Amino acid sequence: MSNADLNRRQMLRRIGMTALVAGPGAGVLSACATGGGGNDAAPSQAPKGATSPQNPFGVKADGTLEVVIFKGGLGDDYATQLHEPMFKKKFPQANIKHVATQQIAQTLQPRFASGDVPDFIANSGTDLMDNAALQTEGQLLELTPLFDAPSVDDPSKKVRDTLLPGTVETGLIQGKPYVLNYVSVTYGLWYDVKLFEKEGWTPPKNFDEFKALCDKIKAKGITPYAYAGKNASYYQYWMILISAAKIGGNEVLVNIDNLADGAWTAEPVKQAAAAWAEIGKAYMPKSMEGLIHTEVQTQQNQGKVAFYPSGSWLENEQKKEIPSGFEYGIIPTPSVTSADKMPFEATRTVAGEGYIIPAKGKNTPGGLEYARLMLSKEGAKGFTEKTGNLTVVAGAAEGLSLSPGTKAVLEVQKAAGQNNVTFSSFEGWYKELETELRKQTNALMFGRISADEFCAKMQAKADAVKKDSSITKQNRTA
Amino acid sequence: MRQGKYPFIVGFLAVPVILYAVFVIGPYAQAFYIAMTNWRGITANPQFIGFENFTRLFEDEVFWQAVRHHGLLLLALPILVIAIALFFSFMLNVAGGSKGGTMTGVKGSAFYKVVFFFPQLLAVALVAVLFQSIYRPDQNGVLNGFLALVGIEPVGWLTNPNLALWSIIGVMVWQAVGFYVVLFSAGMSSIPRDVYEAAALDGAGRFRLFFSITLPLLWDTLQVAWVYLGIAAFDAFAIVQVLSVDRGGPDGSTTVLPLEIWRNAFTYSKFGYASAMGVALFFLTLTFAVLTLRVTRRERIEF
Amino acid sequence: MTSIPEPLPGARRAGVPADARRRREFSVFSGLSHVALAIWALMVIVPILWTFLSSFKTNTEIFGDPLTMPADYSFAAFGRAWDKAHIGTYMINSVIVVFFSTAGTMLFGSMAAYVLARYKFFGNRFIYFAFVSGMAFPVFLALVPLFFVVKNLGLLGTHTGVILVYIAYSLPFTIFFLAAFFKTLPTSVAEAAFIDGCSHTRTFFSIMVPMAKPGLISITIFNVLGQWNQYLLPIVLLPGNVEDKWLLTQGIANISTSAGYQADWASLFAALTMAILPVLIIYIIFQRQIQAGLTAGAVK
Repeated sequence: MSNADLNRRQMLRRIGMTALVAGPGAGVLSACATGGGGNDAAPSQAPKGATSPQNPFGVKADGTLEVVIFKGGLGDDYATQLHEPMFKKKFPQANIKHVATQQIAQTLQPRFASGDVPDFIANSGTDLMDNAALQTEGQLLELTPLFDAPSVDDPSKKVRDTLLPGTVETGLIQGKPYVLNYVSVTYGLWYDVKLFEKEGWTPPKNFDEFKALCDKIKAKGITPYAYAGKNASYYQYWMILISAAKIGGNEVLVNIDNLADGAWTAEPVKQAAAAWAEIGKAYMPKSMEGLIHTEVQTQQNQGKVAFYPSGSWLENEQKKEIPSGFEYGIIPTPSVTSADKMPFEATRTVAGEGYIIPAKGKNTPGGLEYARLMLSKEGAKGFTEKTGNLTVVAGAAEGLSLSPGTKAVLEVQKAAGQNNVTFSSFEGWYKELETELRKQTNALMFGRISADEFCAKMQAKADAVKKDSSITKQNRTA
Repeated sequence: MRQGKYPFIVGFLAVPVILYAVFVIGPYAQAFYIAMTNWRGITANPQFIGFENFTRLFEDEVFWQAVRHHGLLLLALPILVIAIALFFSFMLNVAGGSKGGTMTGVKGSAFYKVVFFFPQLLAVALVAVLFQSIYRPDQNGVLNGFLALVGIEPVGWLTNPNLALWSIIGVMVWQAVGFYVVLFSAGMSSIPRDVYEAAALDGAGRFRLFFSITLPLLWDTLQVAWVYLGIAAFDAFAIVQVLSVDRGGPDGSTTVLPLEIWRNAFTYSKFGYASAMGVALFFLTLTFAVLTLRVTRRERIEF
Repeated sequence: MTSIPEPLPGARRAGVPADARRRREFSVFSGLSHVALAIWALMVIVPILWTFLSSFKTNTEIFGDPLTMPADYSFAAFGRAWDKAHIGTYMINSVIVVFFSTAGTMLFGSMAAYVLARYKFFGNRFIYFAFVSGMAFPVFLALVPLFFVVKNLGLLGTHTGVILVYIAYSLPFTIFFLAAFFKTLPTSVAEAAFIDGCSHTRTFFSIMVPMAKPGLISITIFNVLGQWNQYLLPIVLLPGNVEDKWLLTQGIANISTSAGYQADWASLFAALTMAILPVLIIYIIFQRQIQAGLTAGAVK
C-alpha cells in the first residue's frame, strides 16, 4: 500500500495513546481506512487488460490472483487441480497464489480490516465470515457482471441462464447478488439402503409411519434417529424448519427471515417442533448431544444409527468410512399432518457453499473470471468428479457415473419437481438468531424444553434482533 | 541513594517497556476505544456511541450467565488445585522424613514429580482434544468405559447441564496441578531441615508438621498461586470452546466471557460490543488481582 | 534424584523415638496417600498413553471399546500426519521461535522485574501494575489491533514479529513472578557488592542473577511451555499465505479440523503423539537438571 508511511505515523501516534483523547472523528481506526476508497464496487487500482468476449472482465494476463479456499468437506483439490489450472491455462503468465484454511474468519478478518484482501474466497465452514456484514462495509464485489457475462460454453448465453433456477437469488444481499452459491445441496434423512432391504424396512412417508418404524429399529438395538448435538445442531433445525414449511408453506420461512411478528410462534412451527421433539425424546440417546457430526456419521456407517439428517455432501464426507455393503439413500422429511400444504415429496434443494469476491481486491477482474470458469461445464463437471457434489450449473453432471447417494439425490430432486422448500436467509443475515436456534434446538430435542417454550424463546430472540438497531435488517419477498 | 541509579533504571526498563507498549498496551488501548463504537470489525467507519455497549451489557442475560460461571470457577479452581497440589508436594518433599540432610518425599517421589508435570507440557488445544475422548458421553468414552466395568451407566459428562461446568473445571484442575506441585516443591525444599527436625523432636506428627510449619512458610507462594489461578479462572476459553457442547452449552451452562467475546467478535461481527465485554472482563480480573495483591503486599527493599 | 526404598519411617531415621500411636497414624496416612499419588499418576498417564495407542487404531477401533488395544501396529497414520501436516517443518519453526522468544523474555523480564522489585523511583508502581495487569487482558480482544501494529512494522508473517510479540505478551507473567522472587532475596549480598564497588548492572548480572537461579529456571520452563503451546497469536501473525512458517500448534489445529471433516482420526492422534512425545522426552531428560537446579539454588 502506498499509504504505508501514513499508517506507520498514525500507529506511532496511537502508541502515544493520543488517539484515545482525539475523539471519534480522528478515530483510532482511521489507519484501517487507508486500504481502499469508498464503499462502491470495483476499485480503481485493479489492473485491467482489454476486454473481449473471451475475456469479458478484462483480466490482465500477467496479474497475480490470490485464491483462498476453505479446506473442509470438499477439500481443496478442486481448486488446486482443476479451477486454478484452468485459469492458468487461459492466462499462462498469471501468478496464482493458493491459500487453504479452515479458519476463514480468523485468517481473513484482519486482512479485510487492513485492505490487503485476496481476490477470491470460499467463505464456508464453522468460522465463516458474515457476508451481510462484509457487504454493509462495502467489502463485497457485486456479482451482477458475472451473471450477465457470456457463458464460457456458449457465448450467446448469459452465465445466469446456465444455472439452476434460484441460484442467483440465494446470494442476494440488499436485493443485489454478492455471493455465488456454487454447490447444489439437497437436504433430507439419510439411511443405509442395504440395511433397510435386509431388515425389510420401508422408509416412512409420514410421522406415524416414522415412529412405527423407529420402534421396530429400536427393538433391533439400533439407534433409530440421531444428529450430532455438539457441533451440528443446525442439521436438526433444518429438519424442523423444512417440516414447518411443508406444513404451512414457504411463507412460514419467509416470515421467519423477515423477522415478522409471531413468525416463530406460528402453528406450523409449533407442530413441526413438537413432532421432532417427540422423535428426539423417544428415539435418540442423550449421549448424541456430546458427539460431533463425523462421530455420529461413522456410527451410521457402522450400522448403529438408522436415520441421520444431513445435506447431500454427506456421502463424500464419509467416503473413506463407508464399508462395503453400505449404500446411502435419502428421503424427504416425513409429512407431519395429513393437511400439509406440501406433499411428502417436497424437499429443500438450495445453492450452498458461498464464494465471494472482495471489492477491494487487487485483481477483481481475475476473481470474476475465475468464478466464470468455475461455472463452465468443464469446471462444474470436474468439481462434481472431484468432490462428489452436484453444482448449480444445469446439466453439468450429465454423462458422469454417479455414486449411489448422488443418484438418490437426483431422484429425490426429480420427484419433488416444483415442490421446493425455500432456503432460510436468517442463518446468514442474523447470526445471533441462528446461534440461539442451535442452542434451543438441542434443548428441545434432548427434552429440556417443550415445543411451546422452544417457539417462545425463538420468538423472543427474533424480537430482540428486530429491536437491535446495530443489526442491519434484510428483507425478502419470496 | 547511589550515583547512576536512574540511568541504570532507565537502561533496564527501556526495552521491556517499549516492547510492552507497542505490542500490548497499544492494541489494548485501541480495544478500549473500540468498546465505545459500533465497529463491525471490517472497515473503518466505526461510529462513536459512548457507553451504549456497556448499558446493553447490563441487560444481556448471557453476559451475566458467563459472569456467574466465572464466580464458580474463581472459587472452585484455586481451592481444588491448591489443596491437591499442596497435599502432593508435601508428600513428595517432606513426608518421607529427613535423609542425608534434607527432607525427602515418600517412596517413588522422583517418579511422581516427573509424571505430575506432564499435563503442563501439553497445549491446551491438545488437552481439549484429548478430553473429548475421555468425556465421550457413550460407553466408548474412556471414563464411561471404566464406569461400565463396574456396571455404571454412561454419564453425560458434558451433556448434562448440571455437570458440564464441573467437567470443564476437572480438566483445568487436571492440567494445573502439576505446575503448582513444582511451584510448592521449590518452596518446600527451601525450608531448612532443622525446622522440621525441631518440630519432630517435639513429637509433631505429619499433620502437625504440615499445618504448623509447611503451610505458614509457604504462605507467600500460596498467595501467588491464588492470584494466578484466579486469573486462569477468568480465561478457560480454549477448553470450553473445544470441549463443550455447542460452544458453551448445553443451554449456555458452560459459557465464559472470553467465549462470548469471541462469539460476538468473530461470529456476530460486533467488535464494539465484544470489546465492551472484554473491558468488563478486564476490570473483573483486575479487581480480583489488585484485591489479592493488596493482601499479599510486602515490605519493599530499598538499597 | 533416585528413590531408595526406605524400611524405616523417616522420623526414626531422624533419631526421634516413635511411639505406637504415631506409627499407626503413619501407616494409615501413608497407605492412603500412596493410593492418591498412584491414582493421580494414572490419571495423567492413561489419557496420554491412550492418545499414543489411538494413533495405531482404525476409526472403527477408535469409536469402539476405548479399553482395547489396537489390532495392528502400523505407522501409516504417522506417515499421513507427517506428509499432510508437515509436522517436521513446524516443529523446527516452533523450536526457533520459542528459543529466541524465551531468551528475550527472560533477559528483559528479569531486568524489568529486578528494577521494579528493588528500586524505588517515580512511576515504579505504575509501570509494575501496567505490566501485571497485562495478565488480565483477554488476548483475542487485541488480535485485530495487534495485527495492524505488526503489519505496519512490516513484521507480519515473519518469525521476528512472532518472537517480539511473544516476548511482549510473556512479560506480565514473568515480571509478576520474578519481582516477587527478587524481593525475597537477601539484601546483604548486594550491599556487600556495592561496597566492593560493583555497578548496578554488574551487581545484577554477576550476583543477583546467580542468586535468583531457581526462580529464573522455573519461570524459563513456564515460558518455554507457554510459548510452545501458544495458539491464538500465531494464527493471526503467521497467516495462511506463509504456511512454511507455521508453528506446531497451528499444524495440529489444522489437522484436527481436517480430521473432523475427513474423519481421519488416527492421523490426528499420530500428529498429537508427534507433538507430545519430543516435549515429554526433553522434559524427562532434563528434569534431573531442573530439579537439581531448583534444589541447589534454594536460598538459604
